[in-house]
Amino acid sequence: MEFNLTPQQQERVEAAREFTREWISPNAAAHDRSGEFPLEICREAFKRGLMNSHIPKEYGGAHEAVLDHCMVMEELATGCSGIATAIDGNGLSQYPVILAGTDDQKRRFLAPMLDELMFSAYAVTEPEAGSDVARVKTTATKVGNDYVLNGVKWWITNGSVASWYFVLARTGEELTGFIVPAGSPGIVRGPKEINLGQHASNTVRVTLEDVKVPEANRLGAEGKGFDIAMATFNHTRPGVAAGANGITKAALNIALSYAKRRRTFDKKLISNQGISFKLAEMMTRLDAARFLTYKAAWLFDQGQDNAREAAQAKWFAADVAMSAAIECAQVLGGYGYTQEMPAEKLIRDAKIYQIYEGATEIQKMIIVSKLLRMREVH
Amino acid sequence: MLADIRRLAGRISERFKRAYYGPTFRCPVCHFVLAAVDADGNGLLVCPVCGAVIEIEAVYGHIVPVVLDMELYRPQPKLRVHPMATHLPIGLFPVALLGVVTLLAATFLKRLGLVGAAPGGRLSVLASAVLVLLVVSVGASLATLASGLWDWNFRYRRRTYRQIRLKIACSIVFLALGAGAIALHASGLVFAASGLMRLDSAAGVAADFAYLAALAGDMVVLATLGHIGGTLVFGR
Ligand SMILES: Cc1cc2nc3c(=O)[nH]c(=O)nc-3n(C[C@H](O)[C@H](O)[C@H](O)COP(=O)(O)OP(=O)(O)OC[C@H]3O[C@@H](n4cnc5c(N)ncnc54)[C@H](O)[C@@H]3O)c2cc1C
Ligand SMILES: [Zn+2]
Repeated sequence: MEFNLTPQQQERVEAAREFTREWISPNAAAHDRSGEFPLEICREAFKRGLMNSHIPKEYGGAHEAVLDHCMVMEELATGCSGIATAIDGNGLSQYPVILAGTDDQKRRFLAPMLDELMFSAYAVTEPEAGSDVARVKTTATKVGNDYVLNGVKWWITNGSVASWYFVLARTGEELTGFIVPAGSPGIVRGPKEINLGQHASNTVRVTLEDVKVPEANRLGAEGKGFDIAMATFNHTRPGVAAGANGITKAALNIALSYAKRRRTFDKKLISNQGISFKLAEMMTRLDAARFLTYKAAWLFDQGQDNAREAAQAKWFAADVAMSAAIECAQVLGGYGYTQEMPAEKLIRDAKIYQIYEGATEIQKMIIVSKLLRMREVH
Repeated sequence: MLADIRRLAGRISERFKRAYYGPTFRCPVCHFVLAAVDADGNGLLVCPVCGAVIEIEAVYGHIVPVVLDMELYRPQPKLRVHPMATHLPIGLFPVALLGVVTLLAATFLKRLGLVGAAPGGRLSVLASAVLVLLVVSVGASLATLASGLWDWNFRYRRRTYRQIRLKIACSIVFLALGAGAIALHASGLVFAASGLMRLDSAAGVAADFAYLAALAGDMVVLATLGHIGGTLVFGR
């Protein structure tokens, strides 16, 4: 067991931290207020190799380990998890292609994303099917050599800016995955949703009306879509947990900086145990969440099943982030409740981690399903 | 079209602000936007609007302000010379500019043969009125600058704020451009005796251009001054 970062990991983390300090944190409040998509910041992240880093080497990518990616993601989200989601959102839709795509599909859809700044989106959720993905209603009907897709996809991150979508649709009784170019006739992108937090991230409805998709864009065999969509989460959930850890880290840093300087009753806030213990708890929970996250990522990188660990990390890190954001606001008192300070945004941003990429309850269901297969826990 | 111009202007001013102010944060009490560079070596600064004594620290690029105290004794200038002197140029200068635009339009209409000579020499009266308005507004801005410096000395205790530096610089530019425009106007190089702008010689056209550019530049500077002044009064 080795807890030290390798020199390469250290270098990568420092590069991500510098980018966060320079580009993300100073613009976080402005994007939170305006809801504008952070295109310029993504462009800079792209230039610095902070986007699409998991694309395999054969297609020009860096094939970054999930563990390394988690460390980068934690740094970016410490600046603003909404901007970090915009930067990292591609991963969720690229992974199904990495996992199940043919060489031709990878060349057509992954390789170009390394040449210029482009986005892609994972279009699985529907208004009537969120946690219960098997309820997906969008249909894909075979007509000659094409499939014709009809349906409504809902809450699609990067939906307005994507060049292509990973779409899960029903071919008869089963679910099948497709790569659908955003320029296909019949794709209608809805307006940006006004969410509680992560305002920099773009979430929209995407409607498919008689959208023709060539057979060459079907991912894997018919009926394999559900497995592909679910297996993707083993890859992405550690990264989502790392994003939540970034929020916790921001909350801790802000609360610590504040408590060391604000005075009440003739002493610094931090000299009251009622306050300092909150910081001790935040730090400990952050480390606990990180270790779960790193373990889930490491297992994936070793090629082992990490479904339980990824679910544990995602659930736990999200809860830690939520509680850290609330405690941070508490340390700041009234200032924690005003929009002029960076604390209240963390509360709004943290909430989504308990919902997207499988809500907390769903993560617990996954953990239980794994437990049921164990005779005893070691 | 109008929206495009606004967007472009917005982008330019955004760029300028980012370069000039550097990292900013809002005063948590009055919402005034403060530049982090205005804090002293200990990270302390006093909000010029509400008097909050703020200590800042940057963590992960987030500026975390802490309110340590409120500065209550903030002398108000008794005669309010600065606000009064300010509103003379702000009120009169655009009227002078409107007069110039009218004269410019009349010059072109005349040149295109769409109108005859203005009866009774009314255009020359307008040109003279413009000159008077320019002299009054630019002249009053001398009092504005002086009273502003006075207030800075007492009310703001000579503390350096990006906004106040910008106001001083803009006031000097306003005075310089305004004085140039007045000199050109009074020299007779821009307007003929009829009140129409001179288009007969290359020197005349060059003088017209310089005059119009100085006035347009001054209008932008004046709007900037008014905007910053407003935020120094109302916070946001
Ligand atoms: C900002 C944002 C971005 C998103 N981005 C994407 C995206 O890019 N692509 C995409 O496909 N989707 C995306 N989603 C959708 C997201 O994954 C779903 O919202 C999420 O999976 C929950 O589904 P639901 O909203 O339909 O809730 P439901 O499934 O209706 O669940 C409602 C609540 O009930 C709980 N629940 C459900 N079933 C059970 C059960 N059996 N036992 C106990 N509790 C249960 C859930 O945990 C949840 O708390 C996004 C959502 C948001 C808000
Ligand atoms: Zn203030």
